[in-house]
Amino acid sequence: MSNQPVTSESRVSRTAVMALMSLLAIYFLLPVYFLIVAATKPQGDLASTNGLAFSHFNLFENLRVLFTRSDGIFGRWAVNTVIYAVLGAAVGTLISALCGYALAKFRFRGREFLFSVILGGVLVPTTALALPLFLLFSATGLVNTYLAVFLPSIVSPFGVYLARIFANAAVPQELIESARLDGAGEFRTFFSVAFKLMTPALVTIFLFQFVAIWNNFFLPMVMLQKESLFPITLGLYQWNGQTARAPLLQQSVITGSLVSIVPVIIVFILLQRFWRSGLAAGSLK
Amino acid sequence: MSSTVTRTRLAIVAAAAGIAILAGCSSPAPAGKASAASCEPAKGKVTLQYWNTVPGMDKVVDLWNKKNPNIQVETKNISNDQYGIIGNALKAGKAPDLAQVGYDQLPNLRTQDAFVDASGCSAATATKSKFVPWTWSQTSFGDTGVFALPQDTGPMALYVRSDIFKKYGVAIPKTWDEYAAAAKKLHKADSDLTITYFDPNNAEWFNGLLWQNNAEMYSYSDDKWHVTVESDQSKQVTEYWQKLISDKLVRTDLAHGSTQMYAAYQKNQIASYVGAAWGYSMFRDNLPRQAGKWTIVPMPTWGANGASGNWGGSTVAFMRGSKHLYESVKFNTWLNTDPEALALENELGGLYPAANAGLQLPALSKGVPYYNNEKIFDVFAASSKKVDTRFAWGPTQKTVNLALQDAMAKAAAGDGTLTDALAAAQTAALKSMKDQAIPAAAGK
Amino acid sequence: MTDIATRATRVVESSVGRHRRSNGGGPRAGTVAAFLTPFFLPFVLFYLVPVGYALWQSFRVVRRTGGQYGTSYTTFGGFEQYVEVLQNSEFWASIGRIGLFGIVQVPVMLFVALIMALLLDTPLLRLKSFFRITAFMPYAVPGVIAAIMWSYLYSPQLSPVVDLLKGIGLEPDFLGPGAVLWSAANVSTWLWTGYNMLIMYSALQSIPQELYEAARIDGASNWTIAWWIKVPIIAPSIVLTTVFSIIGTLQLYAEPAVLRQISSNISSTFTPNMLAYAVASGNNYQQAAAISVIIAVITFVLSFGFMRLTSKKAGL
Repeated sequence: MSNQPVTSESRVSRTAVMALMSLLAIYFLLPVYFLIVAATKPQGDLASTNGLAFSHFNLFENLRVLFTRSDGIFGRWAVNTVIYAVLGAAVGTLISALCGYALAKFRFRGREFLFSVILGGVLVPTTALALPLFLLFSATGLVNTYLAVFLPSIVSPFGVYLARIFANAAVPQELIESARLDGAGEFRTFFSVAFKLMTPALVTIFLFQFVAIWNNFFLPMVMLQKESLFPITLGLYQWNGQTARAPLLQQSVITGSLVSIVPVIIVFILLQRFWRSGLAAGSLK
Repeated sequence: MSSTVTRTRLAIVAAAAGIAILAGCSSPAPAGKASAASCEPAKGKVTLQYWNTVPGMDKVVDLWNKKNPNIQVETKNISNDQYGIIGNALKAGKAPDLAQVGYDQLPNLRTQDAFVDASGCSAATATKSKFVPWTWSQTSFGDTGVFALPQDTGPMALYVRSDIFKKYGVAIPKTWDEYAAAAKKLHKADSDLTITYFDPNNAEWFNGLLWQNNAEMYSYSDDKWHVTVESDQSKQVTEYWQKLISDKLVRTDLAHGSTQMYAAYQKNQIASYVGAAWGYSMFRDNLPRQAGKWTIVPMPTWGANGASGNWGGSTVAFMRGSKHLYESVKFNTWLNTDPEALALENELGGLYPAANAGLQLPALSKGVPYYNNEKIFDVFAASSKKVDTRFAWGPTQKTVNLALQDAMAKAAAGDGTLTDALAAAQTAALKSMKDQAIPAAAGK
Repeated sequence: MTDIATRATRVVESSVGRHRRSNGGGPRAGTVAAFLTPFFLPFVLFYLVPVGYALWQSFRVVRRTGGQYGTSYTTFGGFEQYVEVLQNSEFWASIGRIGLFGIVQVPVMLFVALIMALLLDTPLLRLKSFFRITAFMPYAVPGVIAAIMWSYLYSPQLSPVVDLLKGIGLEPDFLGPGAVLWSAANVSTWLWTGYNMLIMYSALQSIPQELYEAARIDGASNWTIAWWIKVPIIAPSIVLTTVFSIIGTLQLYAEPAVLRQISSNISSTFTPNMLAYAVASGNNYQQAAAISVIIAVITFVLSFGFMRLTSKKAGL
């Protein structure tokens, strides 16, 4: 980044730029701020007090209710979310990396065709897959198990697309050749040479896939019937749908929303270095 | 593209298609549906799956589970998209043993072969005398089997903010004409106040209003359905509400049961609620600060016709694929006829029982503190007796309800009228039946 | 289901093998297959097979024997479901709605994202990491939760924003028949602007500084550099974000579905995906499959069309 002194011409622009960006920052922060405020209120104050002003501070009681409701099911959902999103994204990243690396570095007939099939996969609307998948899974008895959500989640055509680009950009062919000359097998070369070079990219792929799984509530909604297998999003969505008949759930939906997005936001901020380096490599090619 | 690539592509596509066809053909064809299923008790312990939408139902089931170690019941709340979930499960052959199904969806689900006939269990047929007659008639499809047991009903009444009516000197209306006049007076007195709201996305509620006016929408004879969604009776109802909407005497921006709806009531912007018996706990739980301000009176009538309406209420259906019909009947009977269970369901879930025994519950003959200790259930009991028992639901009710809602929402936004919405629903009914290969014709 | 997996693996192996024989050098076919199979096995099972299944379903129709509660079965119906979908005015209305949404929301969102990315890349701005993080943060919020949050801010009964606007004499109706589409668009914009911004910003960051030096010496302003040097260089990432936005728009489901809980102005057939789901829940899986296939085809045509168009223009 250039640090050269700013010319006088740009002093006006500098103020304008600050004003514009501050306005946008308010826009991005407003709903989250609202959520924080709402999570500290008792249920009764939600509709009757100003949404942007704190009232009676009730956050700890709200948290206690959230985590003890229905024998602590929310904690269970949190664990499930980690299984689906974190573990799923980790496995998904690994298989995407292997495939993308092979597509980038190995020459074989049909390579471009396989790659265009994958690209086509990027464009398939995932919501459209959920229903036929459900019907197919029912035939094999997979419905209503962890695997029903986990297995489809590990597939990320976009991850392969990125991995191929990253492998092309980050792994010099000469390094692979010299590893081969040293007698290393292809897998050893991949894990000892390519994997390290691709790490920032792999974190990006992981994060992308994490978000995709974390966002996708349609698949678990179709696949799962047991509440104890739900991820957080589906659990909160279900609670939200019950508020008409069980109004006290509303506060738990709000507190639960806050509790579930805060750690993700923190992790994202901590990992933003990876986001940027990975994205840069991905988008320039 | 080289020919090898083309061949590879073909191979993948062919493989995919092959599997798809295999999977498609393996779905079992339903058989022997006309006869009742056999009813043998299981050896040893069984676990039943029971899906429902009632708050607090898990506590009722806990009570059963404690008393019946050999017939354990697992519940699942399916409030969000109840029929979507049931439909998907049926499609997958993963239906539970028992599921909560609204009366209006019984024919719809039966066309999907959702139920098993429990009339082979003498315990099931023996419950007939225990339920309010119209409910039994709908769950037994006119005594042709036992497909579900009635759970609750929704006899309708008018919830009134008596303090607001008093403040503006408006008498509590007894007929719909008086109700419209009262709407005018209240809105004139306070421009932020409307007498009620009209939720265009609530076909179940609107069907209750049609039911009250004897607007029978379906009948079955000569091997086909006769669709009369559009009729003089139904048009009378739509024209009435259209006028209130056009004159801005009711608001149309609130969804039933939403936080926004409660907030509007909280802010004293709405003076009454055309509701069902099960709604009593909603107001009690959501608007605690308005305790003592509400009273419940009979639903306004259409002139001299004293009929009342019914909104919602549910049954607990015996689902196809259940391996434990005997135990399901046992639990279902307890759930919907045992006084202890019914009392708990009324207290926690606000259910108004369909069982005669339930109507004798002590809780239902006492005054309710939130409603000034008035005996509100007497009003609902009287309403229940005035419900048209011939009213029947269509075999594609869910699709028809959606079409009605979408068109009513358009009308509420100024695009067409509620009467046009009836026409849309009529068309949707005929088209959806054609799609499902169910013989149907317009008119009586 | 395992059968197809082995067959697919064989396809991969055989194509690899043929090449291997003809060319020499590089890893053995078995090794290549070992790299590819862990992805392609689940990809075939959980992507391609369901697609094939949906395609097959879309050519079936329901028939029934034995009267009203008789036995139903499906049979081959040719293009019957497609004809019905294409004759359905609700389908075209949902396509029109989503088209309008895409034509307005996607350019607005990407324009804002581009401006933010460019500003973050100039020396004019302070607190860069703060602005970058606030913009990107919504990406961590699932669509369902975002829609619930915004529905509070739209609701005339609960919203502090509505109260504020009323205070200055406005009568906003975020959920009214004309506005609700844009309220849904706003949720998408809120969710995805920062993400798109970051893609563009990352691309900007990887441009070597030397490229600008010459322009600076020639006296070019920051804006000149931004529009005439930076934007053309990051064109590929703008194309990428556009394609993803088009795909996202066509799949729109969660946000309007949540808003539907508080606004009757979102019909059950508001977006093509909602229509498909409504049709499926009416037990017409075959027609729902036909709708899904049509949506997928439109997605393909638009995405590929856009990439073609831009790659020709930019000579990429």
